[in-house]
Amino acid sequence: MTTDVQMTVNGARHRVAVADDDLLLDVLRRLGITSVREGCGVGACGACTVLAEDHSVSSCLARAVRYDGVPLTTADGLAEDDDVVEEFVAAGAMQCGYCIPGFVLMGHELLAQNPAPTREEIAAHLEGNICRCGTYQEICSAIEATARRRQAENERRSA
Amino acid sequence: MTAEMAAPLGAPTLHRPDTLDEVCALLGSLDQAMVYGGGTAVQILIKQGVLFASDLVDLSLVPDLDGIERTDTGLRVGAMVSLRRMETDPVVRRIVPLAAQVYGHVANPRVRNTASVGGNLAHGDYRLDPPTALMVLGARVELRSSAGVRHVPVRDFFVGFQETAVAPGELVTAVEIPAQTGSSSGFAKLSSQSVNDWPCASAAALVTSPVQGQRELRLGLGALAEVPKYVSVDVPSDAGVADAVRLGQEAAGPVIDPIPDIRGGADFKRRLGLVAVEDAIRAAWGSTGGTETGAAGRSTGKEGSDARRNSRRRWWRSR
Amino acid sequence: MLGETRVAAGGAVGERWARTDARAKVRGELLYAADQPLRPCLDVVVHRSTRPHALIGSVDTERAMAVDGVVAVVTGAQLYKLFGNALMTGPAFSDQPCLAVDRVRYIGEPVAAVLARGLAPARTAADEIEVDYTELEPVHDVDLAVAGGPYVHDVLRPSVVFGDLKHLRGKRDTNVNYEYTLRRGDVAEAAAAEGGRTVHEEFWCPPTHHVPIELPFTAAWRDGDRLEILSATQTPSYVRQSVADLLGIPLNAVRVRSAPLGGSFGAKMYDRLEPLAAVLAWTQRTAVRITASREEAFLLTTRHGAAVTGSMTADKDGRIVAATADVRYDTGAYADVGPRITAKSGMVATGPYRVENVDVRSRCVYTNKPSAGPFRGFGVPQVTWSHESLVDELARECGVDPAEFRRRNLLREGDVAPVGTPMHSADFAGCLDAVTEAVGWDTPLQREEGRLRRGRGVAVGVKAVLTPTIANAVLQLNQDASATLLISTVDMGQGSDTIMAQIAAEALCLGEGQVRVVAADTDVTPYDTITAGSRSTYHTGNAVRRAADAMRDKLLELAAERFGVAVTDVKLTGDGLVSAENQQKVSIPELLHGHFGARGTTLTTEANFTTSWVPYDHETGQSERVTEHWFAGAVAVQLTVDTATGRVHVEHLAVAGDVGRAINPKLVEQQLTGAAIMGVGHALFDQMVFDEGQIVNGTLLDYQLPSVLDVPDKITPIIVESPHRSGPYGAKGVGETTIIPLAPAIANAVRDAIGIRFPRLPLTPERILTALAEQEAGA
Repeated sequence: MTTDVQMTVNGARHRVAVADDDLLLDVLRRLGITSVREGCGVGACGACTVLAEDHSVSSCLARAVRYDGVPLTTADGLAEDDDVVEEFVAAGAMQCGYCIPGFVLMGHELLAQNPAPTREEIAAHLEGNICRCGTYQEICSAIEATARRRQAENERRSA
Repeated sequence: MTAEMAAPLGAPTLHRPDTLDEVCALLGSLDQAMVYGGGTAVQILIKQGVLFASDLVDLSLVPDLDGIERTDTGLRVGAMVSLRRMETDPVVRRIVPLAAQVYGHVANPRVRNTASVGGNLAHGDYRLDPPTALMVLGARVELRSSAGVRHVPVRDFFVGFQETAVAPGELVTAVEIPAQTGSSSGFAKLSSQSVNDWPCASAAALVTSPVQGQRELRLGLGALAEVPKYVSVDVPSDAGVADAVRLGQEAAGPVIDPIPDIRGGADFKRRLGLVAVEDAIRAAWGSTGGTETGAAGRSTGKEGSDARRNSRRRWWRSR
Repeated sequence: MLGETRVAAGGAVGERWARTDARAKVRGELLYAADQPLRPCLDVVVHRSTRPHALIGSVDTERAMAVDGVVAVVTGAQLYKLFGNALMTGPAFSDQPCLAVDRVRYIGEPVAAVLARGLAPARTAADEIEVDYTELEPVHDVDLAVAGGPYVHDVLRPSVVFGDLKHLRGKRDTNVNYEYTLRRGDVAEAAAAEGGRTVHEEFWCPPTHHVPIELPFTAAWRDGDRLEILSATQTPSYVRQSVADLLGIPLNAVRVRSAPLGGSFGAKMYDRLEPLAAVLAWTQRTAVRITASREEAFLLTTRHGAAVTGSMTADKDGRIVAATADVRYDTGAYADVGPRITAKSGMVATGPYRVENVDVRSRCVYTNKPSAGPFRGFGVPQVTWSHESLVDELARECGVDPAEFRRRNLLREGDVAPVGTPMHSADFAGCLDAVTEAVGWDTPLQREEGRLRRGRGVAVGVKAVLTPTIANAVLQLNQDASATLLISTVDMGQGSDTIMAQIAAEALCLGEGQVRVVAADTDVTPYDTITAGSRSTYHTGNAVRRAADAMRDKLLELAAERFGVAVTDVKLTGDGLVSAENQQKVSIPELLHGHFGARGTTLTTEANFTTSWVPYDHETGQSERVTEHWFAGAVAVQLTVDTATGRVHVEHLAVAGDVGRAINPKLVEQQLTGAAIMGVGHALFDQMVFDEGQIVNGTLLDYQLPSVLDVPDKITPIIVESPHRSGPYGAKGVGETTIIPLAPAIANAVRDAIGIRFPRLPLTPERILTALAEQEAGA
């Protein structure tokens, strides 16, 4: 069966006809959102991560019909001056880059839930994302740096 | 012409009812219907071409399945509550800390955001973490069908290899978990490949407060037989941790009957199972306030053997 | 040559420039091959063999054709009628058809292809195809395959594509498609000498998979009498040749474009999806795309499993006097580049040591498994597993510290390697010293801590760069002083776009962001042998440097003309061109504007860099110049073994590589570290498990990769620089250097911790617990 749904991606609304078994991953890519990528198809690598109402989801295991009207965020839709992105760039937290948008979104989710994570908590949150190039240290440092940056900004604002 | 695998069924039909009665009616009338909860496990089965279902009944539009209620005896958790919420919800952490701890060990945060408490149980995999905790906590599963509601203790829920007590026409609607009062608990999960892999052995241990000079030591075992296993043994209140470990291992030993696979042979898993039991008991014992005498035997060292936890902790040391 | 002797102009080489595509990668805006907009394509899904070895009787495609959305179903037999033996491709032997013709040789081999409107009908239809097989006896074990039949191939035909493989000969009635021998001195005599000690062992490395997270992807379409391909490939120049040969059309009728790769590690090389996409697009006159799933990617290529029987002998003074290795590479059903792997690892199978008596036999062997091909390290990690385990045991036999024992025996500058080629810019000792110092090798170790046992280990690795090869670069200096660099090197995460930009910028005094590298496109970018084997920095880097030096010479000439001074009087600086004699100055934009009389113009230079060798002797394997340069690396590790669970935990991993000169130290450190993390997986759990030819763990739920939780507590990447006399600014590559000695370093530390030598990889908790139990039983 095909259903007309509203995909709300990075604030933009798209009316799309989706089949019952269409995966969120495939529907997003059909919309031209190629920052969301298949790596394993079984939720084990994190390359297809999206945020659905600020919760990370493996879009390769998610049926699109369930996300009718749910606000979705993908890495390419983050603000131009997004702080997590800035810190990833500054830390050199990328090699081939294929998996990195997934890590960026995991970082966003973590910092929204836990503004001052320990490095242990950062690692725990990233346990299901694979960077085959082995950029884990830079990735964790970038998330830690974002937390520090937000803290400094908060202090500045409240001062 | 050689015989190939039985032709797979076509893509199953998705139903999206919005009342529980409709769900029950669909499950009661369709031939090979399967409940679609969080969907993570079902999608993987579809991807691997091993889902044998004619219909999928989606629960996501059904109201009132995603609540966590405080009850007289503990918590009632709706089937559609996510594993991640079990891990992080302050009420769960306070009332059943062991459950919160163990739910935090499943797969990864993304899967935990989507996978549901009911689906996780109904999946019936012998390697799942949550049943180990739910069994020692004495939780029971609420099953519903058009015929009504019944309850099955989690300890009796797993009846065979990937087979549960859910009858045709039934679905899991909730899990009732008694409050963890006066008991202490521990959990250990051991993997043989990457730290984040499925377990080779897992164990939840719960030690009740003393009654007439005895504590009850309960053990829930994962990945160590074709179903999650439960055993319990009484331990004298004045026993040391080494005695508790010995008694626990003696109780667990006979029910450990591992399935050999790429993660290790049966003998290896049996050995690991006993280590997981020891680690879980030691973790539980450490918070009982019980005596440490008799612990002079082997020390776990400062590391213990829960590689996931240790890696999280140790990776950052000296940075 | 003038350009080679000039000192650096400055500012770029040695700097930690950000990757040219850093922000696009982080935001997910970089387009990998499958992300690029394409004309409408039919989706292709193949039906795969369910038999490891069988004759194909009939292929029933009727039910598949009836599936709604299916446009065509194509079988290997149909293609063979059209293409004959040209259907068989491969970099060494022309042995692999893109669809099996009359015989399948591994479980998962493509037998027929469905073209459909959409992936879903293509998949459904592929399942509907039925194949009638007559089973043949399969051979799964590499040593059984060496011993005799059944034979995986009846006849072998060399493909004659690469210079280093032109000596391959046709063969029949054997599974050994290539054999390399290395002989020097007299091993038996040396081993029998008074007071000597010999250690020997049987080693095994299992097959593994690269698992780059980007999945394989190829699209192809016909444009009149031309074929265009967009593919995730490390080897666009090879693919163009291979497809031109296959279709029987000129090279300029084939256009191959690559894109940045989401990792590769050797997986996306030579003939993968391209031949199938090419013949389908060509014969069906349509546009097609093939997107492999993760499960299918496991079937496309693997790392060679390898058995090594090795020995090493030291004399009474602790000098290594003899070493042997009998290496059997399991290359699976198709040779791919296995013969080159066999030779290139055979020539270093006794390690980076001064050994006068060596005997190496290295064989490439067919079995009924998915084809094995290149993988970061190119077969050398498998032989290093042998020599670095042996040398460690030999040191212990001799009662000498394993690091010190190596130090005494390592090849030094000017020494002649067992293969007969002298060493240069390969500072093994410097790498060894750096890593042992980093882990505190000589400091006391708390060996026991509860049930943990702690140990330290070290290993050294050597590899020869692929020789001979060819690189080309075309450089366009735009009138505004920005530059456009045309090369066929593919950036797959190693950062080649950034490195090449820095090399060009150095010569031309340009700044960060001023040099743009064009993605490989055989219509535009010039031939380059391969982006692999850590060869790009040196080879393509040299071509780029030459092109940039030529550009600088042109600028100097133009400026000298403008200033009316001698060329030797003009200097290129960051501010433009300056005359020393009369202090005249001109910026590059002004100079080019003045020269051409227009804005927006380009000045173009091009350069070639080709290496040469002396082919090795086919009896002795000896060559006075077998390689253009060497890679040298070392790893030291401190770890614990949990004696209750058998689990290894790495506390500190120090990795060093001699890179000649680090063009970009940050990128070098990332390569050193990334290879090390991949190597930790190989050491501890990474392996493909087969049961009668069937992959058992071919999904990422079962095939485990190192996650953030598997990373050592501490990693120390160390850059060692002994400049290469002809490297660009002294530089060499680094992508493989630290994966080569990684696994043995870990095994040596485990040996140190618990006193047990493990000859088989990986060091799983089960192997360790079993060995501990046996140790206890024996004690």
